[in-house]
Amino acid sequence: MSAHDAPAEPLDYRVARLGETLAGGPLGELGVRLEVRGGAVLVEGTVPSARCRDDVCGLVRGELADVPVHCDILVADASAPDHAEEVS
Amino acid sequence: MIRVAAVGDIHLGPDSRGTLRPSFETLPDCADLLLLAGDLTRHGTPEEAEVVAAEIKDLGVPVVAVLGNHDHHDDHPDEVTAILREAGAHVLEGESVVLTCGDTKVGVAGTKGFGGGFVGRCAGEFGEPVMKEFVAYSRRRADGLREALQELAGQDCDVRVALTHFSPVPDTLAGEPLEIYPFLGSYLLAEAIDTAGADLAVHGHAHAGTEHGMTTGGVKVRNVAQPVIGRAFHVYHLRPQEGAGSAAGAASASFPAG
Repeated sequence: MSAHDAPAEPLDYRVARLGETLAGGPLGELGVRLEVRGGAVLVEGTVPSARCRDDVCGLVRGELADVPVHCDILVADASAPDHAEEVS
Repeated sequence: MIRVAAVGDIHLGPDSRGTLRPSFETLPDCADLLLLAGDLTRHGTPEEAEVVAAEIKDLGVPVVAVLGNHDHHDDHPDEVTAILREAGAHVLEGESVVLTCGDTKVGVAGTKGFGGGFVGRCAGEFGEPVMKEFVAYSRRRADGLREALQELAGQDCDVRVALTHFSPVPDTLAGEPLEIYPFLGSYLLAEAIDTAGADLAVHGHAHAGTEHGMTTGGVKVRNVAQPVIGRAFHVYHLRPQEGAGSAAGAASASFPAG
């Protein structure tokens, strides 16, 4: 690296900005958490559809192409409950 | 007994059309009403609201909803509200509705609510105008909830439920990062619930939180965000207390005002 090369942007700032993009961009996704774990990024949370999960994972992997990304996003279960709670 | 089904944070959009409808169609068999605790859409667009409307129309049980922050993102909350009302939902903001289910009268008071934090760890109405407005806005939402619950106290309800999007208590936020609690709820909502009285408080918003909590005054709180309950909805069976149906009975869980 020459003296004039810009230093690499710290990963935590990149992740913070990506979180803003997920929330404020077309995905409108506030329910996904991005965490820096060592040199990798963990993406976790629950989203409403498989397409949403794939969109989020795709966006994160695209923006952080030089970083290992572990996606652990669940799709919300839309099944009816099998019991009720007695609230007394 | 009254059977209250509830879910929040369903975040529907065009790609999730029809996802919840099959489960919602089972509601007449297991519930007397459905509460929707906000964040029904992803961005609050009319197009997304139409998806929600199709999921809840003609379900065979009354539907009562509040909006969430996502439902405001596109700056068309009135249009979203109108679309949901057109589908038959009661959409509340500082308002209440009384539903008769069999021989039981259920009152639901609702507001979106807002953030600000919890006792000892909360924002104050001080400093810059935007900070004062943040807290004042939260206070107005809580005042609306209190007035709506008090209105129900005079209507012989057997059961009263407070419906919000933001959380009234920190209990149901457990699992969320502590640092963001002030953006997830406000003690002002719990104060309103305890002052006016309620039998159950239902909210959403905190996807990583937990289901069960309680206000200082002893009102049970349930976080029904869909990622938390892991189902299309949860059902709560409430039994009217002895003497409920009168204002005095319905207010048994309340603190004296002031």
